[in-house]
Amino acid sequence: MEVEREAMQGEPRPPGSGDAPAEVQREVEIEATPEQVFEALVTEQGRERWLDEPDREIHVESSEAPHRLVWWWASEDEPATRVAFEIVAIPAGARVVVTETSPAPSFPLATLAASFMLVAA
Amino acid sequence: MSDPLGPVFFALADPTRRTMLAAMVRDGSASVPSLTATLPISRQAIAKHLATLEDAGLLERWGSTGREVRYGLRPHALAPALDWLRDADAAWGRRLARLKEAVESTVE
Repeated sequence: MEVEREAMQGEPRPPGSGDAPAEVQREVEIEATPEQVFEALVTEQGRERWLDEPDREIHVESSEAPHRLVWWWASEDEPATRVAFEIVAIPAGARVVVTETSPAPSFPLATLAASFMLVAA
Repeated sequence: MSDPLGPVFFALADPTRRTMLAAMVRDGSASVPSLTATLPISRQAIAKHLATLEDAGLLERWGSTGREVRYGLRPHALAPALDWLRDADAAWGRRLARLKEAVESTVE
């Protein structure tokens, strides 16, 4: 099934514009209840249906069914990152907003990156 | 676990170090004396912050004038961090597409 672009919003949050955290944020609208979506996120059985990354170890930080789930995950090759899901009921079903945050708390990465590129030019 | 981004993120997480980088962006380079003149911290603290930035690969020594070592930004040093963001964004696009498909196929 192809997901329409309109339903998949979100650019990587500008690699940190201003003082924004170094994070990426995406969202999707799903024709299902928040409870059904939450079940697919919070249980191993549910995740097996869509999350094809068995090498990543998941540690749940907090779970507030059916609206919020936060986990940390990592693999041998990747540093641990924090993933937060917000599930909001909408007329069409549920909107899921996922935010993955890098280990950095906050820094103006975009501004700095542009500066580094200027130096490189 | 290999974590090449860790030192970069750690270095950038400190506001004083970000101010020092901003000074280098503005002035082209910086040294302990030049930063001491603009920041309300000791020379020792500035030297320590510069070492952290240098260890993270964000700075390089541009040479010295007398006893004054000048530092400048290391080109492309932030590329791995930017790559992480681009890769993570693309991966979540794919994951959410699969999540949508999986949940909706169950509901139908």
